[in-house]
Amino acid sequence: MHVYEVFVKKDGRDEFRHVGALEAANDDLALVLAREAYLRRAEGDRMWVVRRDHVVAAADDFVDPNADKPHRHHDGAAVAARRKAARQSQG
Amino acid sequence: MARSWATMEDFEAFLDDGGLVEVDDDMPDPYRQAVFAFIEMHANSELMGGLTERDWIPKTPGLRHKMAVLAKTQDEIGHGHLLYMVAADLGVKTRAQMLGDLFAGRSRFHNVFHYRAVTWGDQVAIAFLVDAAALISQQAVFKNCSYGPYKRILRRIIAEEGFHMRLGEDRMMRIAEGTGPQRQLFQESLDRWFWPALQLFGPDSKPDDVLLRWHIKSERNEVLRDRWIQKFVPMLQGYGFTIPAPELRYDAETRRWDVGPIDWEPLKRTLAQGGPDSARRIREAADNWSRTAWVRAAMSNGTAA
Repeated sequence: MHVYEVFVKKDGRDEFRHVGALEAANDDLALVLAREAYLRRAEGDRMWVVRRDHVVAAADDFVDPNADKPHRHHDGAAVAARRKAARQSQG
Repeated sequence: MARSWATMEDFEAFLDDGGLVEVDDDMPDPYRQAVFAFIEMHANSELMGGLTERDWIPKTPGLRHKMAVLAKTQDEIGHGHLLYMVAADLGVKTRAQMLGDLFAGRSRFHNVFHYRAVTWGDQVAIAFLVDAAALISQQAVFKNCSYGPYKRILRRIIAEEGFHMRLGEDRMMRIAEGTGPQRQLFQESLDRWFWPALQLFGPDSKPDDVLLRWHIKSERNEVLRDRWIQKFVPMLQGYGFTIPAPELRYDAETRRWDVGPIDWEPLKRTLAQGGPDSARRIREAADNWSRTAWVRAAMSNGTAA
């Protein structure tokens, strides 16, 4: 048996969302069980099941470095201050 | 491990700040145990409730209601299925160990499933009063639950319990609009089930309740119980039924109902597995599990498609 993660997308809109997990012997049975467990009342019209041991997850120290790259962001404060100064000098 | 905390104080600050704990986080062991025990009891209650529901499929009057009970049975067993998955992922017990403990009478489940439903009126009283109580307590957990996987599964469980409650209310209304003997049948069921349903919320929360402190529950038992009382006492009276509480009174000033003192002895006895129907129900659940072993064997054979 394998653990499968279940993802569902609703009404042709939005993104696939993780809704939960289940145990199944193979991909076909995982789809049947996921439909019976998670989609009994039209909760979605698209469904993915992914074996949990096939999910590639990043370690947190792999994701962390983005926090030290402020040059990738611009919060707009400096621009707003100059705009304001410009407006005041014209007014 | 996605996240870890150096001290319990750090962890509690994270929870107080509305943080969600995920399954692969390095959560403190007491938290893991507490959230596991809570979900395990919920899973057991869904399974035991689903089996009770199943008992009533052949006896439910009318095709439309019979089909609704079929759907509800599938919902309840489905909830058990989802919750056992969430509980097993915590790594405290496997699904097989949880079921083994349940069938050996070592596990807890909601007090109401330790009593026997004898008449159709009982089944209506359960579907209405007990499902409503379960829904009120699940909504309060969902609102602010710190354990992410449980919170997300509760979203779908609550949506389905909403259908069940409306179905229960529909049935109760039909009985209320029915003949004298039908109304009498429901009154007798109300007399039997009012107090067990009210006690589903448990006694008043203790000041040091870790379930509250760690945001597994968001409201105190007595608050939830009172919410149920204020809703269902006037509703049942409005349909002409009598609340089986001799000291029931209405405070015109606060506009609130008070059911008087609550006798907690039956709940204490019941939770110690001493309920009047506990042994039979656990035996039936275990028998059912063995009888359906061939289905699980077929489903775990990877060659089936």
